[in-house]
Amino acid sequence: MIADFEYFAPKTVDEALSLLSQYREEAKIIAGGQSMLVVMKQGLLTPEYLIDIKGITALDYIKYDEGKGLRIGALTIHRAIEKSPLIRERFGVLSEMERNLATIQTRNWGTIGGNLCHGDPAGDPAPVLIALKAKLKLSSLRGERTIEVEEFSKDYLEVALEPGEMLTEIQVPTPPPHSGVAGEKLMVMKGDMGIVGAAVSITLKPGNGVCQDARIALSNCASTPLRTKEAEKVLIGKAINEGLLTKAGEVASTEANPPVDVHGSAEYRREMIKVFVRRAAAKALERAKAAS
Amino acid sequence: MGETFGDYSILGKPIPRVDARAKVTGQAKYAADYDFPDMLWGQVKRSPYPHARILSIDTSKAEKLPGVKAVTTGKDFGGFRWGWSGPTRDEEPLAVKKVRYQYEGVAAVAAVDEEIAKEACDLIEVEYEPLPGVFDPFEAMQEGAPLVHEDRSGNICVEYHWAFGDVDKAFAESYLVREDTFQTPRMAKGYLETPAVVSYWTDSNHLVYIGAKGSPYFPYRILSRCFNLPLSNVRIITPFIGSDFGGTKNDMTPADFSAVMLAKKAGRPVKIVTSQFDVLTTDLRRHPMWLTIKTGVTKDGILTATYLKAIADGGAYTRMSPLTMMLTGCLMTLPYKLPNFKYDAYNYFTNNPSSAAMRGHGLYHSRFAADVQLDMIAEELGLDPVEIRLRNAIENPKPGEVYEAVNEVHVATCGVKECIEKVAEAINWEKMRKKKKVEGHKAYGVGFAAATYNSGTKLSAHNACAAIIRICEDGSVNYLTGATDVGQGSDTIMSAIAAEVLGIGIEDIDLKRVDSAFTPVDPGTYGSRVTVLAGQAARNAALDAKQQLLEVAAQQFGVKPEEVEIKNKQVFVKSNPDKNMSWERLVRIACYESPGKVIIGRGYSTQGITLLGLADFTRGVGDIGTNYSFTAQAAEVEVDVETGVVKCTDNNVIAHDCGFPLNPPAVETQCQGGAYHQGVAAALYEEFKMDKGQTLNPNLIDYKRPRACEAPMTRVEHVVTNDPYGPFGAKEASEGSCCSAPPAVINAIYDATGVWINNLPAEPEKVFWALKAKKEKSKGKK
Amino acid sequence: MKGEPMELKLTVNGKPYELMVKPNTLLVDVLRQELKLTGTKVGCLDSACGACTVNIDGKAVRSCSVLAFQANGRKVTTIEGVGGDKLHPIQEAMVDYGAIECGFCTPGMVMSAKALLDENPNPSREEVREAIQGNLCADEGYVKYIEAIEIAAKKMRGGQ
Repeated sequence: MIADFEYFAPKTVDEALSLLSQYREEAKIIAGGQSMLVVMKQGLLTPEYLIDIKGITALDYIKYDEGKGLRIGALTIHRAIEKSPLIRERFGVLSEMERNLATIQTRNWGTIGGNLCHGDPAGDPAPVLIALKAKLKLSSLRGERTIEVEEFSKDYLEVALEPGEMLTEIQVPTPPPHSGVAGEKLMVMKGDMGIVGAAVSITLKPGNGVCQDARIALSNCASTPLRTKEAEKVLIGKAINEGLLTKAGEVASTEANPPVDVHGSAEYRREMIKVFVRRAAAKALERAKAAS
Repeated sequence: MGETFGDYSILGKPIPRVDARAKVTGQAKYAADYDFPDMLWGQVKRSPYPHARILSIDTSKAEKLPGVKAVTTGKDFGGFRWGWSGPTRDEEPLAVKKVRYQYEGVAAVAAVDEEIAKEACDLIEVEYEPLPGVFDPFEAMQEGAPLVHEDRSGNICVEYHWAFGDVDKAFAESYLVREDTFQTPRMAKGYLETPAVVSYWTDSNHLVYIGAKGSPYFPYRILSRCFNLPLSNVRIITPFIGSDFGGTKNDMTPADFSAVMLAKKAGRPVKIVTSQFDVLTTDLRRHPMWLTIKTGVTKDGILTATYLKAIADGGAYTRMSPLTMMLTGCLMTLPYKLPNFKYDAYNYFTNNPSSAAMRGHGLYHSRFAADVQLDMIAEELGLDPVEIRLRNAIENPKPGEVYEAVNEVHVATCGVKECIEKVAEAINWEKMRKKKKVEGHKAYGVGFAAATYNSGTKLSAHNACAAIIRICEDGSVNYLTGATDVGQGSDTIMSAIAAEVLGIGIEDIDLKRVDSAFTPVDPGTYGSRVTVLAGQAARNAALDAKQQLLEVAAQQFGVKPEEVEIKNKQVFVKSNPDKNMSWERLVRIACYESPGKVIIGRGYSTQGITLLGLADFTRGVGDIGTNYSFTAQAAEVEVDVETGVVKCTDNNVIAHDCGFPLNPPAVETQCQGGAYHQGVAAALYEEFKMDKGQTLNPNLIDYKRPRACEAPMTRVEHVVTNDPYGPFGAKEASEGSCCSAPPAVINAIYDATGVWINNLPAEPEKVFWALKAKKEKSKGKK
Repeated sequence: MKGEPMELKLTVNGKPYELMVKPNTLLVDVLRQELKLTGTKVGCLDSACGACTVNIDGKAVRSCSVLAFQANGRKVTTIEGVGGDKLHPIQEAMVDYGAIECGFCTPGMVMSAKALLDENPNPSREEVREAIQGNLCADEGYVKYIEAIEIAAKKMRGGQ
C-alpha cells in the first residue's frame, strides 16, 4: 500500500526546484519510479509531498558535440539511450549497458537520472559512467554545479544531493583517441542485477601502445559504486599483457568490500571481481587498440 | 502445424484450446477479477514468529475502526481441524493456541477497502510467547528437540520401511556398488496467479465460495464439515485458474476459511487476494529432500538392487506428506527393471511453511538421484549413458500382457525404450558427445535421463468421477464435469472426447466449469488423473447420450441402433448412407417429437479402482496409477567455467510416451513447460533460502523463476503405445518431463566440466567452487 | 491536499476518461478497479512478473509500477484494446499454435509482443526473447510463445 501524499506534477525545472526548495526533506522527487515505487509499495518510503518530474520534457534529450561531448537529460529513459544511433556509434558501451539493464518494460519508463539518484551500488549505469569520466549537473534555485559521478554516491541508497537540489544532466566527455571502454556484469538471467559488475576504460599512448590512463569501477562490490584506484595503477604506464589484466582483477578484488546475500557470498564476489575486471579490461584494451 | 495421430475426427490432431480466445482477449475471469456490489476486502493477520504460543488476541481496536465490518479469530471455528485424511487432521483454519510457521494466520478482518483492512489488521494485538523451533529434519529428529505438535511424541510425521527381494544379497553379488547422496531444494509451486477467493452467503445455511482451486471438491467437503452444512448447501464455483501445480490451490489456506467466516459474520461478500509475498512465505512448497541412494550393478551395467533412504522436511503440518513419501519410493521400480528394492522414508515436522504436492510429486526427487547415479555408474563401467539405459529399460509389453514390478506395479504399456532411442537420434547423441567441449571460457556438455510418472492416480476415499452431457434441443451440448482445468488443457480434452464420441464438432460443446450446485463430483486435478479418469467419464457420458439418440434414429430409419452412426454431424445408416439426416434434425426429433425426451448422458469412471485395486502406502505395493507415462530427455548446457553460470542451450529434446497424444501440441507445450519451469528451475535456479524459519528471498527478484532468454527451444517427440486403460489409449502427459529435466541437466554439467553437482540447484557459486576444488585436486595430483 | 482525489485524464483503448483518483493510486488499480478492465493482471509486488504489462503511447510498461497520474494525458492500451471482432495476428497465432495454457500471463505477453512488432516488424529470435524477458510464465516454457510471435510477425509483414 502506498501511503498518501500531496502530489505535484511540475512542467518545468524551475517549478520543480521551487517545490523542492519549499518542501525540503518532506518532499521526494519521482521520475520513472521503477526503483522508487517498489519501496513505496512496501511502505518503506512515505514522503509527505511527491514531486513528479516525469512530465518535464525539457530534461529528455540526447545531445552531442565534439567540444562538450555527450549530454543526456536526466529524464531520458533507458530505452532511448539503448536505441540512440548517436550513442550506439560514439558511446556504444552505454547502449550495451542499457541493453542488459532489467527488462524492456522497466527501460521504457525508468530514467537514467532516476537510476543514479536511487543510489543503489548494484546499479548498472554508475560504474560505466565512472569509467567514462562522466559528470553530473545538479541544479537548484541557487544555481548549478557539476560533480564527478564517482563523488555522487555517499552510501547505500544515499547520494550527494543537497537540499533543494535536483539532477538535471549527465555529461560524458568525448573519449580521447586510442581509448576503449567496456562493461560487464555477472548475471544468471539476462537483465538481472549484477551479482558483481565491472566497467573499465583504457587509454593508450599513441605510438608505443603503453597504457596512459585506466579507470576501473565496480558495481555491487561495496556500499557505493566503487572505483578501484590501486587496480588502475597496475595498468597505468605499462604495456598491458594477459598477466597484468589478471593482476588488475586481483588487486581490484582486494579493494572491494562486497556484500553477502542470497545471490553470493563475499568470497565468491571477490573471485568474480577478478574475472569481470579482467574481462572488461581485456575488451577495453581491444577497443583501444582498434581505435588506434 | 505438427504431427497428427490415429484416424479420429478430432483427437490426435492439433486442437486449439476451447478457452484460448477468452484468455488471449483478457475476457477470462480469474478469482481476483470478481466484483460484487457491497463487497468487502479481507486481510489475514499473520504471526511474525515461526514457533510461538498465542497468549492472547485482542481485536477490540480493529473492530472499532470505521469501515471494518467483521473480524474473526481461530476460536470462531470451534475446534475444527482438517487435513489429508482422518488421522492427519492437525491443522486449524486460523491458529488458536500455537503458531507453527512464520506468517501462519491468526486472525482476519473484512473492511470496506483494502487500506482499512490492512490498518485494522495492524490494530489487532496478539501476545505471543516465542518458542524454540526446529528448522530442518536433522534438528527435528534429535532427542529432546522442541515438538512442533505437542500431542505427538516426536517430530516424525511419516515413516515408511519397504523391502522387496533381498538388497543385501544382491549388493554382495554385484560387480559394482555405489552409494551417493543428493539434495533437492525447497521450491515454490510457481503459479503466477496468486490464490484469491470471494465468498458470500445467500442465507444462513447456504454458502458460496468462488476461488482458484484445482480440486474444488476438496473445499466442498472441508467447508461442509467446517461450517456444519450439508454438502448440497455448499456451492463451490470455479473461475479460470492461473495454474496450480498441485498445492495450495489444491488445498485450503487461512484466507479461504477466513473469507467464508467473515462473509458469514458481515452478511456481505468478502474478497481476499493473497499477495505474492504471502505466496512466497506461506504457500505450500515442494519438500526439500536429502536422499541417500545405494545401487548395485552387474559388470554389464544391469541394475541388481537399489536402497533409497529419503529424509524430507514436511514443514509445520502433515498436509499430503504421506502421499509425497509414497510417490518418492513406489515408482523407483520404473522405468528400469529393478529386481531388489529397499526404501526407508522419513518425513519430519519442522517450523517451516508446510511442504506438499508439486508437479512431478515425489518421483522427481528419487528419479533425479537415481538417474544421476546411473550416469556415475556408467562412467565407472566405461558405458555410454544411453547404452546403460537401453540395457535396463523395461520392454514394452505385448498387447494383452502386463509387466509387473517387484512391488506389484502393473504396466500395460511402456515406451521408454523407444523414447530413449528417439531422443538419442533426434539430438544426434554420438556426435554431441564427441563435440569439442571447450570454447574459451565456455564448456559444453550433453546429458541424458529417463523418467516415468503415474497417470490416473487413485487414492483412497473418493475416487469416482462423473460427467453429464445435456443435449440441448438445437443440437448444442452442455458438458458438466467436476474436472478442473488449471491451464493444462483438460477442458479442451474433455470437450474433444465428447465431440469425438458424439460425432459432432468441438465447437458444439459448451463445457461448464465446476459449480458444485450443478456439476458432478470429481476428485480433482492432481496426480495427472484428469485425462485418464475424467476422460473415461467423458467418454462414457457421451456414449450414453449417443445411445439414447441412436435409439431415436433407429426408430426413424427403421433399423437397429447398432446399425446407425454419427459422424461430422451427419446421422446415417452404416450400410446405407443415403438414409441420413443432420445431427440437429435428429436432436429435434428426439426432443420434440417421438419420444419427446430430455437427452441426458451420464458417465462415470472408477477405472483405476476396479481394474487394479489401490496402492498400499505402508508396504509400498500396488498401483498408485491407472497407467504410467514414460519420458526420455537429452539436454545440452553451456557452462561458463570462470563464473559457474550454467545455461541450457537449444539442443534439448524430449520424447514422451503418453499412450496416445489426444492433442499433440498441448502435449508438447506441457512437456516444454514441465521440463523448464519445474525441471530446469530445480536444476539451476530455484531455492528458498531459510534462516530459522524465516524466508530470506520471498520476492521474484531474489527467488529466480526461469525466463524467456534462458529457455531452451525444446523439441518434443511423441511415442505412441496405445494404453488399454486410458481413453483412446491415452496416459498422462508431461509430468515425466519435470522428472527427466533435472538429471539430464546435472549429467550435462558433468559432461561439460567433470563435476557432479548432487545438491540442487546448481547455482553459479556452487558450480564455481566445485570447479575450483576439481582444479585444485588435479593440481595436487600432478 | 494530501489524500484527496484529483482529476485524472487519460485515454484507454481509444476512449477518453476523466476520473477522480487519489494520487497514490497505481495505473493498474485504475484500470482494474475504476475502469473494470480486469484483463490486466497483478502477479507480484516486485515489478518482476510482467502480468500487468500495458502499452503507454505504444511502449510496453508495467502498469503496477506507474503512478496513475504519470499516465495523465497519455494513451494507454490494455489487452481489451487489442484486436476486436477479429483477433490481432499475435492473438491468433498464440491461439492457433497452442501457446496459451493457464492464460494468466497471456495478456501481458500480448502487450509486450505488440509493442515489439509495432516498433520492429522483423525481429530476430533474440529480440523476441528480450521482448518477453520481463514477462514470467509458469506453464509453457516460453517456446510456443516465441514461435507464435515469430509467426505473427511474418503474417503482419505479409508472409504466410
